Amino acid sequence: MSEPEEHRTPVSLSGLSENDPHLLPAAKNPKTVELVIAINFLLGTVLTAGFGACYWINAQPWKLGATLGGGLFFFGVGLVAWGKYLMPRGPFVEERHVLANSEADRDAFAAAIVERGGAVMKRRKMLGGILAGGLGIFGVVAMFPVLRSLGPLPKGTLFHTDWRKDSYVVDQSGRRVSAGDLAVGSIMTVFPEGTQDSERGQAVDQTVLIRVSNQKFTTQKGRESWAPLGYVAYSKLCTHLGCPVGLYEQQLQLLVCPCHQSMFNVNNGAVPQFGPAPRPLPQLPLYIDSQGFLRAQADYDQPVGPGFWERA
Amino acid sequence: MGLTSPLIKRAALFSVAGLFVLAPGALFVGAAHAANYNPTETSRRDAGTPNSTIVIKNKAGTVIEYGNKYILYNAPPSKLDNLGKALFMENCASCHGTQADGIPANGTVGAYPDLVGLGPATVDFWVVSGRMPSANPRVVEASRRQPRLTPNQALAIAAWVNSLAPSIPLIPTPNLANANVSDGAALFALNCASCHTIEGDGDALAASTFSPSLRNIPAYQVVEAIRTGPANMPRFTGNLSDQQVLDVTKYVTTEIQHPNNPGGFGLGGLGPVAEGFVGLLLGVGVLVLVCYWIGERE
Amino acid sequence: MSEVTLTNKRAKRRAAGPYGKVGKALNELDDRLGVAKGGRTFMDKIFPDHWSFMLGEIALYSFVILLATGIFLTFYFIPSSAIVTYHGSYLPLVGQKVTQAFSSTVDISFAVRGGLLMRQMHHWACDIFVGALVVHMARVFFTGAFRKPRELNWTIGVTLLTLAIGNGFLGYSLPDDLVSGTGIRIAYSIMLSIPFVGTYLAFFIFGGNFPGASTIPRFYILHCLILPLVIMGLVGAHLFLLVRQKHTQFPGEGRTEKNVVGSPMFPVFMAKTTGFLFIVTGFTALLSAFAQINPIWQFGPYDASRISYAVQPDWYMGFLDGALRIWPSWTFHSFGHTIPFEVLLPAVVLPGLIFGLAYAWPMLERLYTKDNEIHHLLDRPSQRPKRTAVGVAALAFVTMLFIASSTDVIANFFHISLNTVLWLMRITTILVPLVAYPIAYKICKEMQGVHGAGKRKTPNIVSRTVEGEYLATPTPAYHDDLGHDLAATVVPTFIESEPDDTDEGGVRIVDR
Repeated sequence: MSEPEEHRTPVSLSGLSENDPHLLPAAKNPKTVELVIAINFLLGTVLTAGFGACYWINAQPWKLGATLGGGLFFFGVGLVAWGKYLMPRGPFVEERHVLANSEADRDAFAAAIVERGGAVMKRRKMLGGILAGGLGIFGVVAMFPVLRSLGPLPKGTLFHTDWRKDSYVVDQSGRRVSAGDLAVGSIMTVFPEGTQDSERGQAVDQTVLIRVSNQKFTTQKGRESWAPLGYVAYSKLCTHLGCPVGLYEQQLQLLVCPCHQSMFNVNNGAVPQFGPAPRPLPQLPLYIDSQGFLRAQADYDQPVGPGFWERA
Repeated sequence: MGLTSPLIKRAALFSVAGLFVLAPGALFVGAAHAANYNPTETSRRDAGTPNSTIVIKNKAGTVIEYGNKYILYNAPPSKLDNLGKALFMENCASCHGTQADGIPANGTVGAYPDLVGLGPATVDFWVVSGRMPSANPRVVEASRRQPRLTPNQALAIAAWVNSLAPSIPLIPTPNLANANVSDGAALFALNCASCHTIEGDGDALAASTFSPSLRNIPAYQVVEAIRTGPANMPRFTGNLSDQQVLDVTKYVTTEIQHPNNPGGFGLGGLGPVAEGFVGLLLGVGVLVLVCYWIGERE
Repeated sequence: MSEVTLTNKRAKRRAAGPYGKVGKALNELDDRLGVAKGGRTFMDKIFPDHWSFMLGEIALYSFVILLATGIFLTFYFIPSSAIVTYHGSYLPLVGQKVTQAFSSTVDISFAVRGGLLMRQMHHWACDIFVGALVVHMARVFFTGAFRKPRELNWTIGVTLLTLAIGNGFLGYSLPDDLVSGTGIRIAYSIMLSIPFVGTYLAFFIFGGNFPGASTIPRFYILHCLILPLVIMGLVGAHLFLLVRQKHTQFPGEGRTEKNVVGSPMFPVFMAKTTGFLFIVTGFTALLSAFAQINPIWQFGPYDASRISYAVQPDWYMGFLDGALRIWPSWTFHSFGHTIPFEVLLPAVVLPGLIFGLAYAWPMLERLYTKDNEIHHLLDRPSQRPKRTAVGVAALAFVTMLFIASSTDVIANFFHISLNTVLWLMRITTILVPLVAYPIAYKICKEMQGVHGAGKRKTPNIVSRTVEGEYLATPTPAYHDDLGHDLAATVVPTFIESEPDDTDEGGVRIVDR
């Protein structure tokens, strides 16, 4: 490969004689290369025409892709080979011009700005000051409609869910959950009655209801009455980034977040046991009414989901 | 020559780094297992018979068939009892005890699960899916393997265990013709995808537990798993009706097991991870090689 | 061809002027716009031939594919989160309540002729686009092409990378499927984590509390109009600066700080680059024909209470996901306020630092080396061990974060504990870059010590002496047209020995 004649000096394009070796093709056998390129172009033509046919008969997507892709690919290979092997092999050289201007030109430019601008500003300092101040204020004011129209203020919306005192616990189809529904080791996703079909209900109110074995369950202080008959309810929003914590491992008694694998201990107030989540899942206080339906004693006692600045 | 000594240094650096990485890892695995694993946890004696319209009892008054047009649950035939007993003594009794109560001959109470009253579907699922008899009973979680016993032998063992104390759930026969695959897809996304992934491939869960792939499991075993909750899987009883279980089963045995991939190879259902690998290694990689061909190399 | 027709043609040509119709058209154009001089200069513009100069073109042409396929998709996609009942041809979705965005994306995949191919090409082109940007950026970094006078173009390039990643995420979110919806939820929570302004920022961008009805329409206009316009403008500026400042080049024969050596724009480079456009497009179409990407019909519609395990973002967001996974659960609760460091640090501060470092690198290097000269000749990576080592360490760090985004896949593949994998990733993400730096530095130093490393090797002459001893002799010195002694670049590849000039009786295996 390293024939000495490969090391040619780069020449400028202008003023080359017609038989300069730089203008020769790079290929040793231009005839053969020409044939190969011709075959590529023909294949490209056939395949792209085939693409048209496939499209016409509404063929499967892979046939469309294979004919279109294959056709363009062959055209491309042919074109590149033409440029690489049959066109002037060079190398050619181009002079680089210094972009920077002369000292005098620079000074003239700077003078135009500094001297003229300075002269204007020096004489009318007050005007400039008022204009700058006014535009500054407008800039700030202009931000109001730009930002404020975009959405409502958060206010208290992040602090409350739609769970209320005596809310019925329902599943996603709206069926009320009663005390006999779950066996120990079962889980279901529940909502306060009326929100199960709403986006907000799905995004904010979603709660996991798990029935745990009373022998293993550790009641938290102040939450003694929150989990009747082993029915314990935690917010389904991960305290890390708000993904639904729907992964329940009933022997390990862990709720795992499928996004970043935070693990919460179901038997012990859903405290995070592993992973990036910083807080336990908030627990929903439940009771069982006289008809055997599960209902909420109150809303969550803290904001659900991920942390934010205003959260205490 | 000049290269040898740095090579040795580099190798040494790598091994030291490896030690730093592996040692805490190994310690951690041990700790996690010790803290979390309790093989005696059994809490499945209170299965219900949800939404049953058909209930058939035998002469002794025991329910031998219940269900509806969606799923029919049958007790294993009692004529298999004797075969089941023999198989149990040979394959299971060394751990679960000769009375299937979890007390082996050496008398360690509570070391192994008590099988009495768990229902034939539970016993059948564990055996027919190859999880039992387990070669290594101390592993955190038995995983699906080539079954050691035939489906009929599994049924026989379930029959004998059930004869000790008749219980439910019985062996299910889903009637897939009555299923709604669209409802199944929605229920799958809500209840199953959080562990098995939305494409049903299974994955690694907490500690050393794994959700199995659903790509190769017969319909009745899907029902058995949903109704009995094997190992770490929660069990779905009153919260899913037979119709809903059937819908999920239909979705699993059709779309999950034979996914619709009109766009080419499904890339193993790993989603963006596999797509990223293909895009970077194959996509960018091939195009860089093309660059290498087009341009000069020196 | 007969003599008569030839003569006729010559006569016609003479009548039309020496350059025929093209010449005439150009004359008309020059009368009005004065393009002749600049046009000639542009046709003569020299492009370096080295293969690594083509990497940026992968990105450019992927972007062209993105625009073309993207326009196709806008004809059929409905950017609305209004709920409709799906009644298309994909049975498992029939009767489900989905957003119009999801429904129309499924229709593009199943009902629009060629729609699935276009969708997949759009997505694959995006994966390739960002990948090519990174590879191109690495080439520019490791060869020092960002140095004066090209700092501004480096800055534009880094901006393009961030915009490409951002726009990729927006586009990935548009179908409103289960996997991408989870990604939006995470993005929302990341915004919430910013102290003081986080809740306001999140509410303004999403138009309220999550999920917010404005999400899809806003993401759509950002993804399809605003960001593409900005990207197009910056690509234009990038190329303008490239032409204005001319290409860099590797040092070599006849190459100086004052010239550029390579092939002219027309016809050589034009042929190669047009061919490459076809190849990139064709290859993307082939990939889309055989490798399925983002099958949203299998994922189903987004519903904030549903989730799939093993959801990952597209690869270019993977490093963020990985950082979120392995970051410890540090948080701050005090004075009635919360600062979620477990989110803020990995998802806001860390990417800020990574891209901040990328932006600042030309300045930092100039401060460190006190080198304020103009550079058009490139460095070989081995010549700048410290820069190369920093680059390798940074790439290793980001790669480790990327790998950390698939802890579950790793744990499942090797059947080991997920918790163990997480801890391994926590340790190795810090350790690997620290180890990569000295290794890269050492390799660079070693390469500097090897005579002619990285240069083209020339063959040896292998010969045997009368005594039967084999000798490998470097090719005798030869000279190029300028009289440079090329033996200086010859690398002994076998054994080093003195040239053997008593070859009578010796067998020459290679004779030149």
